[in-house]
This record gives sequence, C-alpha cells and structure tokens, in this order.
Amino acid sequence: MFVKVKSAALSGLTGYIVDVEVDAHKGLPGQSIVGLPDAAVKESRDRVKAAVSNSGLDFPPGYFTINLAPADIRKEGPVYDLPIAVGILASHGIIRASLLSDTIFLGELSLDGAVRPVSGVLPICLEAAKNGIKRAVVPKDNASEAALVKELEIIPAEDLSGLIGFLNGGTKVKPHTVDIEELFSKEPEYELDLSEVKGQFHAKRALEIAAAGGHNILMIGPPGSGKTMLARRLPTIMPPLSLSEALEVTKLYSITGFLSSKNTLVTKRPFRSPHHTTSDIGIVGGGRVPRPGEVSLAHFGVLFLDEFPEFSRDVLEVLRQPLEENEVSICRALTSVTFPAEFMLVAAMNPCPCGNYGDRLRECQCPSWKIQRYLQKLSGPLLDRIDICIEVPRLGKEDLVSCPAGETSSQIRQRVSKARQRQRERFSASKISSNAKMTPKYIKKCCLLEKPAEELLKSAVLHLGMSGRAYDRVLKVALTVADLDGSQVIRENHIAEAVQYRNVLIQKCSAII
Amino acid sequence: MSIQSKLIGKEGEDAACRYIESLGWKVLDRNFCSSQGEIDIVAEDGQFLVFVEVKNYSFASFGTPVGAIRAAKKKSIIHAASTYLHKKNISDVYCRFDVISIYRDFEGKKNIELYKNAFQMN
Repeated sequence: MFVKVKSAALSGLTGYIVDVEVDAHKGLPGQSIVGLPDAAVKESRDRVKAAVSNSGLDFPPGYFTINLAPADIRKEGPVYDLPIAVGILASHGIIRASLLSDTIFLGELSLDGAVRPVSGVLPICLEAAKNGIKRAVVPKDNASEAALVKELEIIPAEDLSGLIGFLNGGTKVKPHTVDIEELFSKEPEYELDLSEVKGQFHAKRALEIAAAGGHNILMIGPPGSGKTMLARRLPTIMPPLSLSEALEVTKLYSITGFLSSKNTLVTKRPFRSPHHTTSDIGIVGGGRVPRPGEVSLAHFGVLFLDEFPEFSRDVLEVLRQPLEENEVSICRALTSVTFPAEFMLVAAMNPCPCGNYGDRLRECQCPSWKIQRYLQKLSGPLLDRIDICIEVPRLGKEDLVSCPAGETSSQIRQRVSKARQRQRERFSASKISSNAKMTPKYIKKCCLLEKPAEELLKSAVLHLGMSGRAYDRVLKVALTVADLDGSQVIRENHIAEAVQYRNVLIQKCSAII
Repeated sequence: MSIQSKLIGKEGEDAACRYIESLGWKVLDRNFCSSQGEIDIVAEDGQFLVFVEVKNYSFASFGTPVGAIRAAKKKSIIHAASTYLHKKNISDVYCRFDVISIYRDFEGKKNIELYKNAFQMN
C-alpha cells in the first residue's frame, strides 16, 4: 500500500515541505530510501527498524520503497526518522492514515523508540503554517519552540508508541501552547549593569549614542581599563527586541540548534564575542551546507571583537560586506543562502602591542615600527565603517576608590528607547531600523543642519580630510546625538560631538588612514 | 569440505526440518542452489515464505548465529532466494530470512534456536 506522510526540511532560513512517500510491496524483506538522501538519512533505516521493534511492535514484512519528494533537493539530517516510521507503520495499517494529510512530522528516533530533538523546528513550522498545514508532531523538547507558531496545533511526541496511540485515537495528547505575550511582558533581566563600571563617563556616553543609533564603535585603551566590561554591558542599555525581531533571532538560533527546551524565544539582544582565532567561515557562516556564522548569530544584537587587531586579516575583511548590506549571502556548490546580519560591531583594542602607548601612568616599551605593524592589521576601508571611536584610559588609584557609580542600565535604556522611537517614526515608510543604517537619500532628507553646524562640519572635513563615507557617518552620529537630545535639527554641539568621535580614530590610526 | 562435516551439516538440517515442522511450518524445498549460493530450507509459515539458513555447531557457541552469517554469505543467500522466487514464479508473497542454530551445550544436550527475520536485503 502507498502512504504519504508530510515532513519538512530547511534551506538556509526558510523551510520547505518534503513528502515522505512509502510504498510497501511483497517480496524479499528490505527498505530503500531514494530522493537524494545523505548519510544520516540513509542510516535512519536502521534506527527506524530498531525503534519500531523496541516499541513492542513487529516490524512490518515486505519491501519498502521510501521516496523523499521533491527528489532533486538534497535531504540531510535525522529529521525524517519519525515520518519514515509513521509511513512504514501506516502502510501496513498499524497507524490509521486519517490524520496524516494535514500533519507534518519531525523528529529523530532513538533506538528505544524515544523521539529526540532536532534543529530548525521554528522556521519549518512557520513554513508549514504558510502551506496550510494544521498540525505538527514535533519532539517534546522542541514543542515550546514550535508553539510560537500560533496557526499550528503542536503535538509533542515523547516516544513512538505514545504517538501511535495518539494517531489511532486511543490516547489524548494535549496540544502544546506557549503564551508569547507572557514571554514578552517582563522586561528582560540582565545579570550585568552599566553602573558596575566605575568612572569612564565619556565611554558610557559614547556607548549610549552607539546603542541609540546602532552605530559601530571602537574602543582603544590599555589593558584593564574596562573595555570588555563596557562592551558586555552594551546589550543592557539597548531597547528590548520587538516580537518580530525576536522571532527572526529565534529562527537563526533554532537552525543552529542553540535553543533549549526552557529558553524557547530569544527575548534578549544577542551578544556574541568570538575568540580572535575564529576563522572567516566561523564569522560569516558557511560549510558544505551553509550555517549562520557569528555575524548572523549577533543579528539585532552586538558582535564584540576583543583584541581587534589580533583577528586574522581575512576575518576582518569579510566583515566589510555584511556591515554595509546587513545580510550575508553564502554560495556553495550545493546551495546558496542568505542570512540576515544586522548587528552592531563593537571592537576593542590596545593602542600598541604592549598596551601602554599614550598611557599617563606606564611607559610604552614598543618600538614605533611594532606599533605601526600592529595597527596595519586594520585596513582603512574597515575603519571607515566605524562610526564612533573612543579612548578608554586607565583609571588612576583615586578614581578607582572614590569614583561614583553613575547611572544604571535601565535609566540609560529609557533614553535610548526614546531616541529609537524617534527613529522608528522617521523611517516608518522604509525598512531602515536605525540611524546607522540610513541610505544616502535619507541622510539628505533627515539630516537638517543649523547654519553654525554646517560651518563647523565644513571646516572639519577640510582639516581632517574625511572620506565621503566618513562624512556620511559623522552626519549619522550627529543625528543620533540630536535624537538623544530631543532636537529636530542638528546643532553645532551635536556635530562637534560626532566629529570628536571621528577625530580619535584619525589621530590614533593616522598611520593607516 | 570433508564427508564428515557434510554429514554433520545434513544431520543438522534434518533436525531443523523436524523442528520447524513441529512449529506447524511446511517444508517446501531443501538445498536449493543458484549459481551463487544455496538455501538450506525453504518453508512456508502462514503467509510467509521463509528461507532458512541452518548453522550447526558441534560445540557450545558463543554469540548469536546471526553474527556468524557474514555479508558475503548473506549476499549469496539473497541471490539464491531471488532466483528461487524467479524460477517458481512467485511474486505476491511476504518473504523472510530466518536462521536456525543447533548446538550442544556443555552438558552435551542438543539445543535448537530459531531467529526470525535475522537479516534483510541491502
């Protein structure tokens, strides 16, 4: 008998429906799987056989031809175990076929019949709902993640025998539901707070501007001055994710397999800090079957690169394109996928290899050629994409003891959220999310300068020798400062602050830009 | 193969036939040969056509007889089975490959064990 069971697979971030067709006929016993299966799919034959026998059932006799349609797309991973098992059992009438037509099945089978979790359940379920599917049978550990898709009835499957009972109408299984509003109602709680960083008010102000406008920021300072501490606390002053943003981030984490059964919806802004030995593929994503890299995992969040010049040149250069386009397209022989990568780049570095160059308290030991070589790791085009550059000096002894704590993260977050709100209204007609992502058209339209501000900017361009892109970046930062100030137009002091952040970069890295 | 070991094999297959007949199966054929292999017993068990491989040990065996059937042996049995189906023009029947192991335990008592569905194609 012929049975069709629906399942699904992933291509990049989007799912597509796969029909698992099982044809049973008499003859010598055996199974064959066709439809471009990879090794993990072929192995499912043995897993399914053991799982069925260990669920207290006789494995049905005869020969099974299992086709995964569409047959021209490569199928991979263990996600087809469950639909194949259901198909084989249904083809012999052990499972009633009445529920199969509008249900998708996802899951890996363990040899004892238990259903194990798989990755990518959320994007698959979103796609299934679009295709008019009503029900999804998913592994119990993935149920909360799948339940984010409201249109589907989510049946959590714990083991094969329990599922057979449900499909035959014997046992009742309560559809799994998640209250998305509740997940979103609470303010995200962070373990860190910006008030823990002593002093560094200048740096905190720069972080506030960066968070408000989504600007990339570079911190230069000697070791132990608090660069890493500051960066780690940046997500705590950024506004909370909206629901659609959270779903998109969750999708990325779902296909990477980073979601746990408890933490189903990513509600906090991601903070990724890859080690400086990470490869370029690790940063942008890739592999034979492309997976998202760090830039995509930092989507709507922060990508923190500590010890910036220690990263290999390749890694730093591959960042350039995603920084401009907010997405990465990865092409491989098998497929080509596009992952979103709208992140804030936060970089930290020492001013020289020993770290003390320009420090008031300690002397630098580095010869000048060493400093130059160190800085040359950073190319001009890359630094051009950095909007804000600040110095984070070492705190003196008195400061460490007596410095006041300063504002808490939530106080700053309120101001940042207000500035972001102004930006949302400004860009409501377009896809632009923040000032940093403005297109030239919007820069012309939105950056209204007062007369003295214009004069100041002109002389800054003249004296600092800025590139066209740097000029645009200064305007963007100035607009964010104005937003934080609640001002409709860009005033002289806004421009001055923005130019100053640019000036640090020019002075520190004069060797290369 | 020496005459002696052939005799041991023959004796084992006789015992296996008696055993499966006692289970209510019908023995259809014995020692069916194709160009590449041999099937010890072909029997009918209800709706199933069963190809039985008999493993006769003159000593207590360690491990299951399924393990004693290597890939090459499997291949030859499967070849013989499909030749059998072809020659007898059988297509509409569920088939099964079983293994019967016969061995003497340490006290010299003869034991017969049947492994249903011991292996399959591919």
